[in-house]
Amino acid sequence: SIVLHIMAVSAVHLESDAFLVCMNHALSTEKEEVMGLCIGEVWMSCVYEVDTNRIVHIHSVIILRRSDKRKDRVEISPEQLSAASTEAEISFEHRLADMTGRPMRVVGWYHSHPHITVWPSHVDVRTQAMYQMMDQGFVGLIFSCFIEDKNTKTGRVLYTCFQSVQAQKGSEYERIEIPIHVVPHEAIGKVCLESAVELPRILCQEEQDTYRRIHSLTHLDPITKIHNGSVFTKNLCSQMSAISGPLLQWLEDRLELNKHSIIKLQKEKERLTQELASL
Amino acid sequence: MAASISGYTFSSVCYHSANSSSDHEGFLLGEVRQEETLSISDSHIGSSEFLNVIEVHNHEPCAQLFSFYDYAGNVNEENLNRILKDRRKNVIGWYRFRRNTQQQMSFREQVIHKQLTHILGIPDLVFLLFSFISTANSSTHALEYVLFRPNKNRYNQRISLSIPNLGNTSQQEYKVSSVPNTSKNYASVIKEHGTEFFDKDGVMKDIRTIFQVYSALQERVQAVCCEVDQSERVREKIQEEVNKLKEEIALRKRNSAEEERRLQEAAAVTLPDNPALPDSSHSSLTQVMLSGPSVEPSLERPVNSSSPPIYSTTLLPDSPSAILLPRPQAVGSPGHPSPSLGLGNGDGSSSDSLNRQATGQEDQEEDDDEDSSEYENLVSEQLQLPSLTETVTLGRPATLWPDGDAHSPPGS
Repeated sequence: SIVLHIMAVSAVHLESDAFLVCMNHALSTEKEEVMGLCIGEVWMSCVYEVDTNRIVHIHSVIILRRSDKRKDRVEISPEQLSAASTEAEISFEHRLADMTGRPMRVVGWYHSHPHITVWPSHVDVRTQAMYQMMDQGFVGLIFSCFIEDKNTKTGRVLYTCFQSVQAQKGSEYERIEIPIHVVPHEAIGKVCLESAVELPRILCQEEQDTYRRIHSLTHLDPITKIHNGSVFTKNLCSQMSAISGPLLQWLEDRLELNKHSIIKLQKEKERLTQELASL
Repeated sequence: MAASISGYTFSSVCYHSANSSSDHEGFLLGEVRQEETLSISDSHIGSSEFLNVIEVHNHEPCAQLFSFYDYAGNVNEENLNRILKDRRKNVIGWYRFRRNTQQQMSFREQVIHKQLTHILGIPDLVFLLFSFISTANSSTHALEYVLFRPNKNRYNQRISLSIPNLGNTSQQEYKVSSVPNTSKNYASVIKEHGTEFFDKDGVMKDIRTIFQVYSALQERVQAVCCEVDQSERVREKIQEEVNKLKEEIALRKRNSAEEERRLQEAAAVTLPDNPALPDSSHSSLTQVMLSGPSVEPSLERPVNSSSPPIYSTTLLPDSPSAILLPRPQAVGSPGHPSPSLGLGNGDGSSSDSLNRQATGQEDQEEDDDEDSSEYENLVSEQLQLPSLTETVTLGRPATLWPDGDAHSPPGS
């Protein structure tokens, strides 16, 4: 019989376009933690069928809504995770299957630590441990941003990858570090683009839901209702100017850049075709 | 003096940098203006101040290093114009992304900066320096950034760069109750005049209006996104075709070179019973094999696939070599003097074999695009570096760079 030593994840490869979406998301707000799911696949490399290296490959991410907005309580409930996973697998499988021919699934989660150290908190480590019970290859990513050293006027963005281990049964969970590499991906994938433009929609949805709950309160006088309506308007305006606007600008710039690249590449292709013909 | 850059532009620079195996640079486009700020304080009402504001709107990445300057740092205006085209008038600065280096302008960068200032005619041209460092095991990476004003005097050299964002998205500003009031006058007046704000369904008109603005905007975002997606696919396809052509040309050149050599050697043989021809067909073949994607031969199908594992070396989509050979983002460009940071030798990474391949690939691909003058400024100046050096060893880092309110001591 063959004995397989399943090691913990040996490394995470994060495609650069997925990395782009994570950064966009993490930098969208400095006042609260954001989170999302990592979509991809796990590769195993077997050496002599004994030692197994597990590499988690992240192709894209899904931006999630936070149901519990209390500080330090970033977690996705198992139900939410399961629902998101199903949705991910259904929608992503369909789209990604066309391109890669391989099924993708939820392989991890990421969240941001604005103004805070990049290391996972006790809650984060426990949350991660919980996910690992369902899937031992599940990985956690944290993006720390909006950090500035006032003296040197140096800003910082950090990211880390971790899993959780329990030294012995019953002891506290501890973080273990997982190597993570951002892997080049010259073009931005369709799935990543779609995830990126989901952000304004999710923000608006959250605002609408809150407003609807407030609006259903019947004991409010007209002035209070006008006030609340204005808060909604104000918040939506914030979202449009802080997120939608810059997002649109970036998309337009990217389009321009691509157009120029395509022209250059076309020329190069012609030149190479001629060169090949002459050989 | 304040400066800002959008999160999307910032991420985009990171993205382009991640795709470059070497350093990456480009131009910053935007606007510098004087903004009047009104401050209302107890002592004076309406005192206004003028604040210089630098806004980075977007960036123009350079496809490669040395595209507008040479090794000596001489800027070529023609190349500059070719890169910038009509965006030249929007330039407010330039940026550079480097790995494992100190947060200071190098000598060559200073030389280039002076020339750009002069050529572009921008007296307060700024320089944004990104520096990337990692822990030895590559589990944690830091991107540091500093915005310099090199043309200003020594004491004003660095500016705080902010990233405007959504800020507080909490919905705490909604009121869940009204201020208690039994005044009948109050109630009747606000009821009568307040109705202006509501439509026949009791919904605030403003809500519908702003929602329409949002919807229209989101629709446009989607539309432009589709266009971007299409352009990405076209670009990907042509890039692939170009890569194939290059491979084909390289192959043909090698084969014809081999042919030539064999013919020459055949001509050189004088004795018929001494076939001193070395078997050269072997090397060209192995060369061909090596030029393909260097895939770990024992790599099997992903675990979650329902079909049985297949021994395959071509599992991967486009650019397999890129995927299996993570550009050592955690590693300084090999062949360069590693600065005095002592941040590990750069091969702390995942599996050994992957790392070996990664380094191998790096050595082949990398142009030695930086000479030692780039590191002229890496002297023993005691810079206030974050204690990232303490995180070199695996396991818990001792202390970290100054952070806000850490919600738990790291790893304890």
